[in-house]
Amino acid sequence: MSAKQFFKSTVFKCLTTLLCVLLVCGIFLTVMNSLLSVSAEERFDRAINKIYGKSVQTVSVAVADYNSNATINEAYKVTSDGGNYLVKSTGKGGFEGGTVTCWVVVVVKNGAVNGIQKVTIDSNVGQSYISKVTQSFLNSFANKPAKDTYFYTDDGYLSSGATRSSNAICNAVNGAIDFVNAQLGNVTEDIYADCSYIAQIDTRNSSHEYDKDKGLVVFHVQTATYGNASKFSIDVSVDKDGVIQSFVISKNGSTSGYESSMATGVLDGSVFVGKDITAIVAMFNGSATELPYPPAGLVTGATQSNYLCLNAAAFAAANYKMGLPADEEPDEGENNEEGGNENE
Amino acid sequence: MNKYKKITLDGLLFQNPTFMLVLGTCPTLGLISSAFSSMGMGLTVLVILTLSNMIISALRKVIPNAVRIPCYIVIIATLVTFARMFLDKFVPDLYESLGGFLALIVVNCIILGRAEAFANKNGVLESAVDGIANGLGFTVALTLMGVICEFFGNGSLFGLQIMEFKIGMLATPAGAFLIYGISIAVFVYIMDNFERARRVKANKLARENLLKEAA
Repeated sequence: MSAKQFFKSTVFKCLTTLLCVLLVCGIFLTVMNSLLSVSAEERFDRAINKIYGKSVQTVSVAVADYNSNATINEAYKVTSDGGNYLVKSTGKGGFEGGTVTCWVVVVVKNGAVNGIQKVTIDSNVGQSYISKVTQSFLNSFANKPAKDTYFYTDDGYLSSGATRSSNAICNAVNGAIDFVNAQLGNVTEDIYADCSYIAQIDTRNSSHEYDKDKGLVVFHVQTATYGNASKFSIDVSVDKDGVIQSFVISKNGSTSGYESSMATGVLDGSVFVGKDITAIVAMFNGSATELPYPPAGLVTGATQSNYLCLNAAAFAAANYKMGLPADEEPDEGENNEEGGNENE
Repeated sequence: MNKYKKITLDGLLFQNPTFMLVLGTCPTLGLISSAFSSMGMGLTVLVILTLSNMIISALRKVIPNAVRIPCYIVIIATLVTFARMFLDKFVPDLYESLGGFLALIVVNCIILGRAEAFANKNGVLESAVDGIANGLGFTVALTLMGVICEFFGNGSLFGLQIMEFKIGMLATPAGAFLIYGISIAVFVYIMDNFERARRVKANKLARENLLKEAA
């Protein structure tokens, strides 16, 4: 085909037309974008107006995360509102692992968090039933002083029909409270922050103690949420060799009706009892820091619940040394799961 | 019958995109739990449909047949992107309530369908009337179902709480599906009766004319 023939062909005409349409549309959108784009400041002003109904004076605060269930996106000190904090926080643990991002106004009085003034939803990821979250549910946060406590769906902080989204909202609010507490210098130290297998553990609400009579370290583990599974409260006793001696679920976080679908060995703890962290990791093909999902052999109708229990067992078995008194602590070389020879 | 009247009646009633052709089902099921969102979606589609019909009609002799669909898609996508920018800037509440469905207008069967079936073969004015009529048909259908779903599903109308009684299921996509089905049945029943009455009247008129001619 000669050049002349090409320029007269349908192919050339089609290409030219398509390119022209694309060019004109591109130019049009470029112009429109420069005219209609919404700046970050404008979006922030909109959010402020939605929350306060008026414009307020704010000072931006550097963000950091102090709660494993929430991510702080933006934070401002509201100077014209008595020094309260306005925090944009994303709560995890929503429906199918999704998130809900909220603007939370945290009230500060005498240098301490004194409650929540307002919670509004900014956006969400994958929350099909977010429309079921009622205004009265969001208002309920302002009715309770949050000085020493957090908000949980288990305590009735949930909007009927949107339990998982409510859980994510509670996590967002709790994250904002932790952030403001940290800003005010009232942060509680997370003693498990550097521990292993904490990805599915609510470390701030978990604890341990040493039972001197039985020589066991008793962990009161509070798990995080995972998918459809809510928080579990589990008591795990570990002996001085790191072997689990008992595993008792005191609060089952499985979705109503799914408890019976959990693996029997998980419900009665027999899967974990008599095993140390090395055995657990080997059994479920885990790594030194986390366990894979779905856990092999624990895939039942409530696999997510089984997974949370497995993580609780691994957390206790891996970190039992924290609870041993100094004289009971085993020799590093004698019981070192990592098999390291750092001291050599 | 006047050409424009026919186009208008077709878009609004006889070929109503929602009830008669069952097009644009995705936003219909996703949004009719709120009357405000339904009306917003309907009006947005109306504007985009009218503009796309007019542009495609104006360019129908320039665009080669082989690349007409890609060209239509580019034009419609441009208009949808413009609508998104406009709503985000000036009507942010509606922009948030429409969510992902706003971007999905690009693949809305009504818009591409009218471009291919009507705007491609008719003049700019007729295409504009067709766009307005079909857009209005879609808007009215969506708003009507939105009002029913929101009233019975949430006990409110356009966000204004009216009563405490509610049937929660009607505020979900499953409830929307039920209301959509019932609405189609009622609309088709009414249109069938209307058509039958019109046919009877036309037959009667024809018979009278024949009798007159025979006499």
